[in-house]
Amino acid sequence: MKGYYRAFVVIAALCLATGLETASAYAGARPSFTVGWSVYAGWNPYFYMAKSGILKRWADKYGIDIKVQRFDYAASLDAFVAKNIDACTMTNMEALDMPAASGVDSTAIVIGDYSNGNDAVLTRNNLGLAQLPGKHVMLVQKTVSEYLLERAMVLNGLGEQISRLRLMNTSDSDIVGAFSGNQSNLAVVTWKPLVSQILTQDKGVKPVFDSSKIPGEILDLLVVRTEVLHRPDGSGARFAKAISGAWYETVAQLAGSGPVTEKALTGSAAASGDSLASYKEQLRTTYLFATPKSAGTFTKSTDLKQKMDLVRQFCFHHALLGQNVSSVDDVAISYPDGSIQGKQNRVRLRFDASYMQLAEQGKL
Amino acid sequence: MATGALHPGRLIDVQARPRQLSVQALSWMLFIVCIGFYLHVSATRHRENSEDRVVPSGAQLLHGIKASVLEPAEEDDALEDGASTWQRIHHSMLWKDTASSSRRFFISLALLVPAILLGLHMAVFPYIGAVCLRFVLFFDKIVALSLLPILFIVFGIDEWSKIMLMVIGVAPTLILDTYQMAQAVPREQVVKAFTLKSSNFDVAYRVVLKQILPQVINSVRLNLKPMVLFLFAGEMIAATDGLAYRIAIMRRHMGMDIIIPYLLWVAILLYGVDALLRYANRRLHPWF
Repeated sequence: MKGYYRAFVVIAALCLATGLETASAYAGARPSFTVGWSVYAGWNPYFYMAKSGILKRWADKYGIDIKVQRFDYAASLDAFVAKNIDACTMTNMEALDMPAASGVDSTAIVIGDYSNGNDAVLTRNNLGLAQLPGKHVMLVQKTVSEYLLERAMVLNGLGEQISRLRLMNTSDSDIVGAFSGNQSNLAVVTWKPLVSQILTQDKGVKPVFDSSKIPGEILDLLVVRTEVLHRPDGSGARFAKAISGAWYETVAQLAGSGPVTEKALTGSAAASGDSLASYKEQLRTTYLFATPKSAGTFTKSTDLKQKMDLVRQFCFHHALLGQNVSSVDDVAISYPDGSIQGKQNRVRLRFDASYMQLAEQGKL
Repeated sequence: MATGALHPGRLIDVQARPRQLSVQALSWMLFIVCIGFYLHVSATRHRENSEDRVVPSGAQLLHGIKASVLEPAEEDDALEDGASTWQRIHHSMLWKDTASSSRRFFISLALLVPAILLGLHMAVFPYIGAVCLRFVLFFDKIVALSLLPILFIVFGIDEWSKIMLMVIGVAPTLILDTYQMAQAVPREQVVKAFTLKSSNFDVAYRVVLKQILPQVINSVRLNLKPMVLFLFAGEMIAATDGLAYRIAIMRRHMGMDIIIPYLLWVAILLYGVDALLRYANRRLHPWF
């Protein structure tokens, strides 16, 4: 019995010691923030930004620490909704149906790019969109892929046929093999680099629609939890300034020319293990808002509201806002000019152009 | 000490004989603890964010259960208002998913019967064993999931690739298990059967198989969980319906109010199949 007692005392002392140690470590530490990102042409620069030291420089300037962590896309959203990370890269659609619809008030502080051909509907045997109803279409359901497919049908006057599409939910990790492996699979909707993989493997497959025909509807954002942004000690705002500053410095490098640009492109390509050529090919179909001015202008335009309205109607129609949400206005969106789409008291997603504006004015 | 309060010393008494009533009560204790813990976490999260979907509250769960049991899946047409409850259940999301998942499950369960017979034959007939044993031993170590792209090419992306994933995943283990059980049947019994004018197949089926069958059924019971795991993996990768398909879809927008009832439903179904096999075993082999 005495042995047990002694072991207990030792363990208790150890616990206490480590507890005190971490407590004292925290007391002196700078506020720390974590940004989650996942592999995508428009988000790979976050990897380069952290690795090249650009982010560190900006974080030091604002007296904070910023960690950048890579996730799988779905996992990054889970972590953001569970409040394990402070900021996360996501599309406008997921910003609405994941955090916002789960009641996590979120603010988009950087609109990085939009898909300008990265997402595509591909078919075999020269099948047109009009022939798709009744046939299997492979895609990751309830994502921008399904949105793209529905928009393709609507824009081609086939809106009534949408309910006759037979969608097969296929995981993005296996969609290339599953589609290419069998000639009887006729249609697939997916994104780059998977699109390029399918097209190079199989010459009989052709794109029939892509996101360049719906510019600005599939947006890639950096989203911060609103409560983090408005921390009373101001550290959240400093974080937003630091990451915006770092982002536009990185993007300027990417969009420029010369050896610095090559280095930035190579560094970003390395984030997803892509070759430089493949990454450049992906960037060609990604409309990068290269300057804070272009991003800010788009964020403040009425264009954004119209596009977000299409997206939120889609989300509501597919019950992505929750099983028991009875109106599309229950998950409201606010815009930089103060206007609100939806119910006044239920704003969950905010577009904030102020950090892009500060970057534009060189005040970061 | 048949009556009276529970003495702490009894907890580590090997020879303790708890009364039926306390055994019943104690067996529910951990359930209650888990439910209580869940409700506590849920309540805490909802106090912070009343729309939380990660740990849905009791009311949200009830709503989710009602939606999945009484309402058709999103991709199906809605029923007219006059439909009876039975019609509603019959056309519900849960019914549809359960039906398609069960079909896959039972087809692959049926396909495991040849696997069991192969294991038996490998043990009883030395030449068959010589041909198959090393291969099955090796094949057993292959991670079936990584074969999926090949399965898609061979069996298409519809039903058969999912069914074969389950069969390929579980069959080798079952073959080897049956093989070992059959090997363990005492040689003397085989010899004795021959002296009583048995044929080769009499020995295989009426002496060896008859004896090992209850153990084989137990082995199948243990393999139910891996089978469901493979079923889920297959349905999450490419499907148009099924229990795991729905869970994969719901995960896209944190529909935990549907996912949790679905998981509990799968657990109940699995428990049911297991109980059925256990019951069959007791009825068929009372001597075991």
